[in-house]
Amino acid sequence: MTHLTMKIALLYVLITVIVTTGYAQPDSLNSKNTVTNNVGKSLPYALVAGGSKGIGYAIAEALAKRGYNLILIARHADSLIAAKNKLESLYQVHVDILSYDLSLDGSATAIADWCMARNISLKMLCNVAGFGGSRDYLSLSLDSLRYMINLNIGSAMSLTLTLLPLLEKNAPSYILNVGSMAGFAPIPVKNMYSATKSAVVFFSYSLRYQLQEKNISVSVLCPGPVFTKPEIKKDTKEKLGWIGMQMAISPEKVGEIAVRETLNKKLVIVPGTVSKIMAFFVRALPRRFIVAIYNRAGKKKS
Amino acid sequence: MQYALVAGGSKGIGYAIASALARRKFNVVLVARNKDELETARKNLERNYQIHVEILSADLSQPASAGIIGKWCHEKNLPLKILCNVSGIGGEKDYLSMPLDDTLYMLRLNTEPAIALVFNLLPLLRKNKPSYILNVSSMAGFAPISIKNIYSATKSAIIFFSYALRYQVKKDGISVSCLCPGPVFTKPAIQTDTVKKLGWFGKQMAVTAEQAGEMAVRKTLQGKLLIIPGMLASIVSFFLRILPARLIAFITYRSNSEN
Repeated sequence: MTHLTMKIALLYVLITVIVTTGYAQPDSLNSKNTVTNNVGKSLPYALVAGGSKGIGYAIAEALAKRGYNLILIARHADSLIAAKNKLESLYQVHVDILSYDLSLDGSATAIADWCMARNISLKMLCNVAGFGGSRDYLSLSLDSLRYMINLNIGSAMSLTLTLLPLLEKNAPSYILNVGSMAGFAPIPVKNMYSATKSAVVFFSYSLRYQLQEKNISVSVLCPGPVFTKPEIKKDTKEKLGWIGMQMAISPEKVGEIAVRETLNKKLVIVPGTVSKIMAFFVRALPRRFIVAIYNRAGKKKS
Repeated sequence: MQYALVAGGSKGIGYAIASALARRKFNVVLVARNKDELETARKNLERNYQIHVEILSADLSQPASAGIIGKWCHEKNLPLKILCNVSGIGGEKDYLSMPLDDTLYMLRLNTEPAIALVFNLLPLLRKNKPSYILNVSSMAGFAPISIKNIYSATKSAIIFFSYALRYQVKKDGISVSCLCPGPVFTKPAIQTDTVKKLGWFGKQMAVTAEQAGEMAVRKTLQGKLLIIPGMLASIVSFFLRILPARLIAFITYRSNSEN
């Protein structure tokens, strides 16, 4: 059995290598340096859903550094105001803030209406809002699980659909969805998180081709561990040990890489070399094998 | 006196699964929205097999439904052996060609009922171990199919959920399976769509609902994780899983724009 598994794995690696090196990128979207700053024209805007903290804030900052005006969406007005003040004092950009619970159905439409009414020259939509943690399926309430589905996938699908007319008008434009390495293979202890992130990865792949003719580039950020909160660091150290610590990178780095690669029109963005290697194996090896390893790691003291 | 609950069991693959269970002398609880169709299904099953059928009319897209179904089963102390999550929606229309409400409806109907029913019925399944959970996904869950964007994404989530759940409930004596069929002609519209988009090959890959249901139940009872009915569908699935996702998304997008 393991022999067969190894053979399949080797076959996969071989095919992947042949395919990725052999066929020309079907989308020919790899032209570098497409950063458009439109100096003189109306200033470009980027909307960051979940932009007040963590990776979302880091993405907002990387965009501000490049002269993008920002619209930040989050639930709490306080952290939004703090983010706005910080970004406006550091960079010469304008920051708008909108307080919405993105897990609720009406939010995306209301946000889009706000943008349309102002005819915002929207160049980039970043869907960062998401929810996950050390507690997941079987240790979270059903309501929290539904919240996770609505926030992690529903909000990205809704904002993309409602803001599409503006992105089309301002093409070439960009959509950055935040997935996770957990979206590459199922993680038993992070069951729902992993499942929702897989849906985000699938959504991004499909969307990229659906929007190609409209000159809108779609990217998906799939980071390994990012220590945005102390408990993530603790959890990673306990469950993934040394390799987890090597994989981890700071939110600032993730944000910077995410924005750079999105503007380079890269589809899948995995920040960090160790994470890139891990991501390759997680996707290349038989899924059942990876899940068994994840399962064993997850059982470590938590 | 063992029971199986089939969510979405009045028609299509769900009904075929219910029949395959009835053939094996399981009593069946059918859950669906349409009461008339439930009655018809009950009559057919009770006439053809000497079993008892209960029907529950519920809209599984409503968050409250899973709670009501769970309560009903717990009150009866149902000897539940198998939970089958079949309800789902797909179709020719998908992201960008349907309104936001339909998109969110698809997202929820394809993911939440399974998640909520397993959650609520787990105590009963634990009590009646060894027991089984069968989630119905699709081959579209193996790789991103651009033209079926949301459908494909939700079905991937169900596959992930099944893999992870299998490990989570193993110690409870519960086996989790996931049915990933290719085209199944449960409606004339599916046949037209398949022939149009996948041509001769799609027709060869297709299996009947009865075949899918029979195989799903047999393999679920054997404790198999992934169930793909049909030889050709199995081969195609292998490639869907092994080839780069980017290539599949590209090809499926192209195949659509040619029509």
